[in-house]
Amino acid sequence: MRPLNLVAFLLFLGGTVWALTRSERTVREIQRSYYSWLTPFLTTGSELETKARAFLDEAEHSKKLETELETIRTEYDRLKQVEAKFQEVEEENAGLRRALDFQKRIGFKAVAARVIRRQPTTWWQTVDIDRGSESGVAVHQPVVADGGLVGKVDRVGDKLSSVILITDEACKVSVQVEGTPEVGILSGQRGQYESEPLLRLRFLSTKARISPGTRVFTTGLGGLFPSNILVGTVESVVPGPLDTEALVRPSVNFTDLSTVFLLPLP
Amino acid sequence: MIRYSLSILILVLLALIAQQFIPVLTGAYNSRLLLVTLVFLCASVTVRPPVMLALAFICGFLWDAQNALGPPGGDPDVYKYPAESLRFGYSIILYGLIGYLMQGIQPLFREGKWQFSTFLVGVSIFIYLISEYLIINFVRGEFQFSRATFFQITFTSILTMLFSPVVFWSLFQIAERFGHEIRFEGLNKKRRRRVIA
Repeated sequence: MRPLNLVAFLLFLGGTVWALTRSERTVREIQRSYYSWLTPFLTTGSELETKARAFLDEAEHSKKLETELETIRTEYDRLKQVEAKFQEVEEENAGLRRALDFQKRIGFKAVAARVIRRQPTTWWQTVDIDRGSESGVAVHQPVVADGGLVGKVDRVGDKLSSVILITDEACKVSVQVEGTPEVGILSGQRGQYESEPLLRLRFLSTKARISPGTRVFTTGLGGLFPSNILVGTVESVVPGPLDTEALVRPSVNFTDLSTVFLLPLP
Repeated sequence: MIRYSLSILILVLLALIAQQFIPVLTGAYNSRLLLVTLVFLCASVTVRPPVMLALAFICGFLWDAQNALGPPGGDPDVYKYPAESLRFGYSIILYGLIGYLMQGIQPLFREGKWQFSTFLVGVSIFIYLISEYLIINFVRGEFQFSRATFFQITFTSILTMLFSPVVFWSLFQIAERFGHEIRFEGLNKKRRRRVIA
């Protein structure tokens, strides 16, 4: 090995050891600086996406106006398109109304946030939201949606935050099975890519009597999530020699997650 | 050489920004184009080991800054078995390893046979992702390797590999602009052939 290559290799090793031995706090600081550098690009990207969507909608609308001038058949087609568009708007309106009602329904102050990026990393189940420390977001803040529990805040930037979803293996939730004294720990499963992933509920007692379809709620234990938030429904139960496990279908549709609510820390 | 190395660094930073806007292909087992890794791999075959190692450190460091998960939090009496997270800095080692792999075929690349490098980019991405997944399995326990994971790794490798000619072309353009000869042996041969003719 040439002397220069050897020196470079030793420097590389030294740098790697330095990086590997950074404390959690230092890593968080590094991530904060990194994301504060990236935030302008991410914000601009998100704004451009919104504008592009608006432009596409506008273009679509113009096409509809053109068809108005054509024959009766085209008129019929246009009306069909308008009807489809109306249904879409109606659905969007209903969704927003649900979100508003949900915000009123929940008994604590919730901050609404928009999902701006899905799955930004290879292995972790996370989403990025458009709220950060400037909006009062804190690490480990619980995140919910209209259907129930979504996850918790993992990383906080000034304007953006990252939320780890309950479908990730690293997001563990203390839950109770409705109508039973059964309490367990729920988490996502590794390597699940289906549109409707199943969650793994562990550490239930061997005598657990749970039937599929039973709902699962947060216990409020552990200091991460408030109690009585719906998480999902039991899909199947697998009794074991030491404990019983169950597979739970999340109550939130993660493929259609656009607006979430940040709850205060318990 | 310095100007070429600096422009590669800028290219890596641009790739990092572009990476933020590359969506995940949910219909193809969450596969994606790993642009930063691709730029690093293509660049590492065109430079000497010290520059490759410097790039590996920068790419690995930034990659971990982007992807590292935070501590699980919560009462340890309730959450007794938290899922272990990957240590910040592990990517630097993986980038270094795949960088050396690319350096191994540098003689072929310098002869102008960039097709081998393209193929090796796919292989390197595959090795990188499979190593990453195995490390996750190792630190978290309960070895799981589903068909879906295999497809995710394979599709990501293939997708990224398909884009490597574009990156190589960009590198050739940069090298030409800054007078950095990255395939001199191939060029010398061509010149020799021309002289003989």
